[in-house]
Parts: sequence; structure tokens; C-alpha cells
Amino acid sequence: MTALSRFRIRQIVRKEVRQLLRDPRSRPILFVAPMVQLLLFGYAVNTDVRNTPLAVLDLDRSAVSRELADEMVSSGYFEIAIQAERPSELVEALDRGQVVIALEIPPQFSRDLASGRGASVQLLVDGTDSNTGTIALGYLRRAILAYGLRKSDLTESLAKGPRLEPRAWFNPSLESRAYNVPGVIGILILLMCLLLTSFSVVRERELGTLDQLRVSPVKPAELILGKTIPVAVVALIDLALIVAVGTAWFGIPLRGSLLVLLAASLLFILSGLAAGLLISTVSKTQQEAFLTMYLVLLPSIVLSGFFFPIHSMPELFQWISYLNPVRYFLEVVRAVFLKGAGPVVLWPQFAALLILGTTGIAVAIRRFARSIA
Amino acid sequence: MSRRRLLAIARKEVIQLGRDPRSLILAFLLPLLLVLVFGYAITLDVRDIRLAVLDLDVTSESRKLVDAFEESGYFSVHRRLERHGDAERMLVGGEVSAVLVIPRDFAADVAARRGAPVQLLLDGSDANTATIALGYADAIVSRFAADLLPVRDVSLAVEAETRIWYNQTLESRNMIVPGLIAVLMSIIAAMLTSLTIAREWERGTMEQLVATPVHRLEVVFGKLLPYVGIGLVDVVLASAVGVLMFGVPLRGSAALLLAASVLFLLGAQGLGIFLSAALRSQVLATQAAIMVTYLPALLLSGFIFAIANMPAALQVVSYAVPARYFITVTRGIFLKGVGLEALLGSLIGLAIYSVIGLALASRAFRKEIA
Amino acid sequence: MSELAAPMSELAATRPAVRVSGLTKLFGAFTAVDDVSFDVGTGEIFGFLGPNGAGKTTTIKMLTGLLHPTSGTAEIAGLSILHDLETLKCRIGYMSQLFSLYADLTVEENIDLFAGLYGVRGDRLEERKAWILEMAGIGEQARRLTADLPLGFKQRLALGCAVIHGPPILFLDEPTSGVDPVARRGFWDLIYDLSEAGTTVFVSTHYMEEAEYCHRLALMNRGRLIALDSPATLRGSMADPLLELRTDDTPRAVELVKGLSGVLEASMYGRALHVLVEDERAATPVISEALDNAGLTLRSLRRIEPALEDVFVARVREAGGVE
Repeated sequence: MTALSRFRIRQIVRKEVRQLLRDPRSRPILFVAPMVQLLLFGYAVNTDVRNTPLAVLDLDRSAVSRELADEMVSSGYFEIAIQAERPSELVEALDRGQVVIALEIPPQFSRDLASGRGASVQLLVDGTDSNTGTIALGYLRRAILAYGLRKSDLTESLAKGPRLEPRAWFNPSLESRAYNVPGVIGILILLMCLLLTSFSVVRERELGTLDQLRVSPVKPAELILGKTIPVAVVALIDLALIVAVGTAWFGIPLRGSLLVLLAASLLFILSGLAAGLLISTVSKTQQEAFLTMYLVLLPSIVLSGFFFPIHSMPELFQWISYLNPVRYFLEVVRAVFLKGAGPVVLWPQFAALLILGTTGIAVAIRRFARSIA
Repeated sequence: MSRRRLLAIARKEVIQLGRDPRSLILAFLLPLLLVLVFGYAITLDVRDIRLAVLDLDVTSESRKLVDAFEESGYFSVHRRLERHGDAERMLVGGEVSAVLVIPRDFAADVAARRGAPVQLLLDGSDANTATIALGYADAIVSRFAADLLPVRDVSLAVEAETRIWYNQTLESRNMIVPGLIAVLMSIIAAMLTSLTIAREWERGTMEQLVATPVHRLEVVFGKLLPYVGIGLVDVVLASAVGVLMFGVPLRGSAALLLAASVLFLLGAQGLGIFLSAALRSQVLATQAAIMVTYLPALLLSGFIFAIANMPAALQVVSYAVPARYFITVTRGIFLKGVGLEALLGSLIGLAIYSVIGLALASRAFRKEIA
Repeated sequence: MSELAAPMSELAATRPAVRVSGLTKLFGAFTAVDDVSFDVGTGEIFGFLGPNGAGKTTTIKMLTGLLHPTSGTAEIAGLSILHDLETLKCRIGYMSQLFSLYADLTVEENIDLFAGLYGVRGDRLEERKAWILEMAGIGEQARRLTADLPLGFKQRLALGCAVIHGPPILFLDEPTSGVDPVARRGFWDLIYDLSEAGTTVFVSTHYMEEAEYCHRLALMNRGRLIALDSPATLRGSMADPLLELRTDDTPRAVELVKGLSGVLEASMYGRALHVLVEDERAATPVISEALDNAGLTLRSLRRIEPALEDVFVARVREAGGVE
């Protein structure tokens, strides 16, 4: 096999870029859509429970019971959405999904509390949104516990025993945004690579232009390079945009080196391109390519640790996730952003990205070359 | 509108689908596979948080505390450390999510009752796990402390009796599977239709269809029918997997679920038809379909991220996301077992959506044909 | 095949531009091309004729390296399609029946792309580009999107892109399908120009009047080569006399005439009926009597010179008919 011609690669690159930019309808998809997504992810993907709507049924109607209700609101986690008069209203509010959690203060609450026998309140939780339910319940219980301790003489004696002094590193206020926004980089790069390459070959095959290229002296490897280089550039521009907006707008700290981030991104892009090319090569129609793309994209995201902690998954899925380049890339991105980690710590992730990326692209090129030879 | 012509188009669509068995198989396999993978893999229940322990005290007291962490089921002691430096390495490398540091004089401090702090170092870069880990650790240490108090029968002043409805164990699977059905349907529906119409434009067969005396509504409905059928089969398949394999309860009416699905599918597919007719290219149509359906359905529907926690502007936007209503309906039917009355608002939302989707679809055709 | 190794034209005798030997292509159990051998002379316009599915496109795809032959081989400009494909690609041009330029690129961008792929640059590129724009008659539309051009212009542009590198051999696979007769005529003028300049043109078609333009014709049916000669020789090769019959009800007449003794073949030809008979004198009265009996009016019945289409129909019949 003779050497690849840089000149011919440039021809294909130029053609791809022209086609990408020609259609005014597709331009926004390249750069605006990633921004919109970043903003969406930045604002919507928020697992911090704040201002959770709470329904309160105060049957005691005393100063003490009002104090308890106020305390729940002043924590900042809850706001009283419904002041119920009857128990049936609580049921209705939960059924209609207006609140996820409800607090019922019984009629003799203040009397019980004053008598020193200990009082009780009832919490009703909507378990359908188990995520919010769990977190909200935790907060509410803690707030009630704290209130109760203050009302008793236990506070002092507890203070003399063991107590927890938590300290969160890298993200002291435990903001979920600092965790999610860097993760978006991985998802968006993957999405761009798949969207822009999954169709590129199958489309030309459907339109007949692929044959015109095949009779020309252009080699399969040149064609692949010409088709993937522009995509890689788009992905890198998107990376730069996301890093800029993430740090400047969302105030996510970038503690590590940009160079490390760039290196990891390049390796990761290899995997994304390989997946896209493979999809495009094995698919006979664009529709098929699209369905296959989803079949790849969704599990890649789910098994990456982006939303869902990998360590809580069944063992089988934890194993599968080791084959997922997104997983390693997210680990790198988060560590570089928040922990300022470098290659010394991150070498296993880099090695995995390198192995997955190079074998992926090698397989893709071979499959592609075979399919058009 | 002629039913015969409508059915003729529907038949053509079915035949074409049948000729492309790979796509057809994918259309059924994809949701099934995703429900399985998601159902198993997605769990928001944090268990087995990886914990490293740096026990500088090494007494029976300190061991008891470590045991308390391990026995809780929420933490698994992954490493036992010797030095402070190790703790940092563990957290930076991401090997553990938290490090429990028990200082040298822990047992002595406990005995002397002068306050015995233990440190929990959390990897804040994973804020979700850290928040939850913190809550659990707090509870474990409080319990541990309370058990050490001389008077064991002191009850806390205010007891919170908790009753969790609909999903007693707060299992995240019960929350995810019904939501997943809605998310998957929004993806599949828009995807299948957006491709079929764009394909007809690209291949020039649409001109052919337009030249026949077919009314645009007939084209829209004819194209929709088979795909609504596929979508309904997908809903049934996904629900069956949820109920039979994951034990998600189906408490409400299955008929109502199907009815809501039809409304949702009509809207989503109408939108898909609109996109493909407007963009006329398979690539563009699919890209647009992803942006318009998949991401909002995932992020702004309340599938995982509570809408109440979002900024006000996004909350307003979420009212325009049909998956939001559909998820309310699926969760309501599956878990709450509520009926028409409680879900009326959401159903009206879905009905409006389907009307808009169909209107857009038929409008797109009128413009093209003119 | 020996009777098909027809006398080679003078052009072909000099030095074959294409030499095909025993080319065969199987798709599973289906034989698309069955042991085909022939030579094409340098500078010749070589027509490839046959019904759909006869194996024309498959043969061209093998010759241009788009498909691997199951067995057999071919040499083009002295280069083997099996071993020298890389070098060969620079010596051939190819234009398919599908319009296969990029519709979302402008005319000029398409030219630049293919020029670049074939290594045409600098002054030569400018010269070739000017030639293509002029030849295709789209000089003022160089910056227009290719999608917006009328089909005839698109096809000329595609031809221009296929010969941008000045290949000695050009393969055209049904290049004029879907084009109006005037544009088709103009397209053939271009092919003649190329041929006069020394380019060997290998063209497949199913338009009979186009076949007449070719120096030599190869007839394919069911994957086999069933005839190979110049159009004139092919026309003269029909030994049996051909009659043209005009009547007031041609469809009925076809059925009627087909079964008569001494009639070999009867087929519609526009409003007339072409009847191939064993012997003109014997057949004429039989036919007029049969029409009379059936109550049809005989308008005319005369012997005519066979057109290529008649030869084609006859040869296909001899070879066992279409699928």
C-alpha cells in the first residue's frame, strides 16, 4: 500500500466542511445546540433539593406547631405549597403530584411536647419520585430531629459524645452543578461524533456518490481521515465552548491543566469517531444507522456514571462499564476540573482511553476498507 | 377524508417496514433492550459507598464505630489506611468516595465525655454520592452516640413517623421504569416518523404521492397509523418487562395507560412528520428530532431531575415538554393507581400536544404541496 | 462463444484498450455475468446493450473496480483489474446512471473536489475547469448549487468531472437515462468529441437510437454476451425477412399473427406490427387471409430493413428470451 496523500485528504476535508456548513439549517446543530444543551444540563440537572413543595396539615394550631412548620421553611429546603385543613387534602395533594412530601401535626402536639412524654408528627412521602423523596425525607427528618433536640435537654449530652465532622473536598458546598457540568463535555462530544459520522458513509452509499469516490484514486484510509478530521475539529471547538461557558458562566473551577483535558479529549474523540464510522459502515440505510446510533448512545450514557453511580449498579453492568470509553473520559474530566489531577493519578484512565480509541479506530478502518474495496 | 386511501397509504408503509426487517427489529428491540439495561443499571439508591478508614486510635471503641458503618449496608470499607497522605491519594484518584478518620484519642475522649469528633472526608466532586453519603454517615454517628448515652430509654422529643406512599421502599426502579417508558416513546416515536417522511423526499417518491388525489390528512394519518401501532406494542413490551421482571406494580388501569399512550404517540409522531417534511433531509431531521425530543424528555420531564428544583424559567419551559405530562400519567397509573380524575390535567396537556403535532404535520404538507 | 468472436473493427485491431476474458460474477446462486470475453479497441465507442438485469452494470462495475469478479479477469490500458487497480484508477473515468455528484456543493466545488482527488491542479486545473464549464454550457452557473441545475446540465457536469483527469478510457453506465432527446443528442456530440480526441468510450444504454451511434455493439442477455458487431453488420445479419404490418387493431393482430405457420415472431412496434417470417412469399397470403377472416382491415404489408431493435428482439429470442 502506497503512502497516503495529504493532498487528497485535504480535498475530502474541504468537501466535508463545505457540506457541513452549506446548509443553514444544520449550522446551529454544530455549535448552538451544544450550548443550549450545556445550559439545559447546567440548570436542569440539579440534584440539590431546594424549595421542595411541602404540604402542611396543622391540627394543633398552636404557637409551638407553627414554630415547627416555620423551622422547616427556614431551612431553605422546603416551601409550604399547601396549607391543608383536612387530612383528605393531603391525600389529594399527593395524588395530584402537587407536593412530594407532607407534614401532619396532630392535635395534641403542643400538649405532648410540654408534658415531656415526647410528641410525634407524621410525614407522608410520595415515593414515585424516589430520588427527591429520599433526599427530601432525609432533610425533613434531620430538621425535625434538630428541632426536637433543641426542645429537650439531650443536645448537651449528645455534644459530649462522638460527633461527625464532615469535610467535603474539591467542592465544599457539594453543589451538584460542579459535578454535572464537566460531565456534559463527555456526553456532548460523544453525541457530536456519533451524529456527524454515523450517517456520513451510509448517506453517500444511498445517494450513489460513494461509488464515484471509489473509482477515483482516493484510498479508504484517506476517505476516513477526510471525513473524520472535520468532525474532530467540531468536537474540539465544542469542547472549548463548553469549557469557556462552564468556567465563566457557571463558575466551575478548572483546577487542572487544560493540556491534560485536551489530550484526553483527543483520545476520547477517537472512540467516538470509531463508533460512528462502524455504525455507518454496517448500516444499509440511514434509518438503520439512526436506530443503531441510539442503541449505542443511550447505554453509553447510562453506563458512564454521568447520572447514575456506577458503584451501585449490579456487578455485570459494572463490568460492562469498563468497556465504555465515556466512563474513563468522565473520570478524567471531573478529576481535572475539580481535583486538579494530572497524568500521574490519571494514567489508568488514559491507558484505557488509548486502548479503546486505537483498537476502535483500527477495527472501524478495516471494516470500512473491506466494505468499499 | 377517504378511509380507503388512508388505509392504502398505511398498507404501503407497513409493506415498506416489512421490507426493512432490520429497522423493524430494532424498533422493537431497542425499547426492550433499553428498558432492561436501564432497569437494571439505573439505580439512584446509593449503596456500598466505597469508604476508606484511617483508624489512628485502634481501640475497641473505634472498631465498633467502623463496624457500625459497615453494618449499615450503605458503606463498604474498601481500604484501611495508615497515613493521612494516603487519604488524599485515595480521594484524588477517585478510588473511594469518602474517608473516615478516627483520631488518636477517640476512645479516651468518649470515655471522658468531652466530645469526640470523627472526621469524614468526602469526595465533593461527585456531589450526589457525597450528599447522600453524608446523610447516612450523620445518621450512623448519631445513632452510635445515642447508644452510648447512659439513659437508653430517653426518647427523642419529637418523633417523626414516616409513611411512604406508592413506593414503600423508595426503590428507584419503581420510579424509573414508568418514566423510562415515556422517555423511550418520545425518542422512538419522533425518530421513526421523521425518518420515513424525509426518506420519501430524498428519494423523490413524495412527489409521486402528492400527484395522486391523496388529501394531506390522509397522508399524515396513513403514515402515522403503523407507527402508532409499533409505539403501542413498544409500550406493552416495556410495561411487561417492568411488571414481570422488575416487579414494578401496575396499580391503575391499563386501558387508560394505552389511551394516554395513543395521545402521546400521535403528538410525538406528528412532530416527527413535521420535522422531516420541513427539513426534507434524513440527517437533519434526525438531528433535530434528538434536540427537540430526546434531551427535553430526559432533562425537563421530571424523569430523574425534579422540576421543582429548577430555575423558574426552566419550570415554565417544562410545561411545553409533553414527556412531562406523559410521565405524570405513567407514574400515576403504575404507582399511584389513580384514574382519570387525578390525571385530567396531564391528559388535557397530552391531548393539546397531539392536536398541535397533527396540525403541524398537515400544515407542513400543505406548504410543500402548494 | 466462438461465433461471437466477430471480425474486429480496424480500430480494435490496433491495440485493445480493454481486453475482457472469462469475466464472471455470482451473487450467491445467481449468475449476474457469465463468462464474458471481448476486446475494445482504442478510440472506439463501444456500446453495451441489453434489457434491465442483463448484467451490463455489473460488468462495468467489475471493470471499474467497484466489484470483484468471481472469476476471470480484464486488462484495461494494459493494466489488470485484479492487480493494478490503484494505477488503473487514474486511467479511467466513470459516470453512473445515478447522478452522483454532490448536490449540496456548487458546480465549481464539485469540479475542484474531483480534480483534487485525481491530482489535477495548478494551470491544468484552470484549463480543465474552463473546458468543463464551456462544454457543459454552465459557465455562468459555476457558483450555483448543483442541486439547482436542470438534469441535462447535471449530466454534462458529471461527464466533465468523470474526464477531468483526461482518462484514456471512459465508462458510462446508462449516462442519459431520464434526459430529453435534445439533451441526449448534445450529450452524444460530447462523446464523439472525446472519441475523436482518442478516448475509448465504453457506454451502456437501452436506447436503440443511441446504440446506432456506437462503433461496435455488444448485446447482453441474462449475463451472457449474445452478439458483438457494428450496428450495420448486426442489422445485415438478420437472415429472415421482416415485414411491417399495419391494420386497424394492432393488439388483436399480434395475437392472431403469432400463431400462424411460417411466422417466427410478431411484436408491436409503435402503431405497426413487425413480423419475422421464414419466407416472404409464403407468409404474405397466409397473413392477409387470417386478418380477413377475423374481420380486420389490412392497411399495408411490406418488407422493411430491420432496425437494431428488431435484431435485438430476435437475438434475445434466439438466446432463450428474457428471464
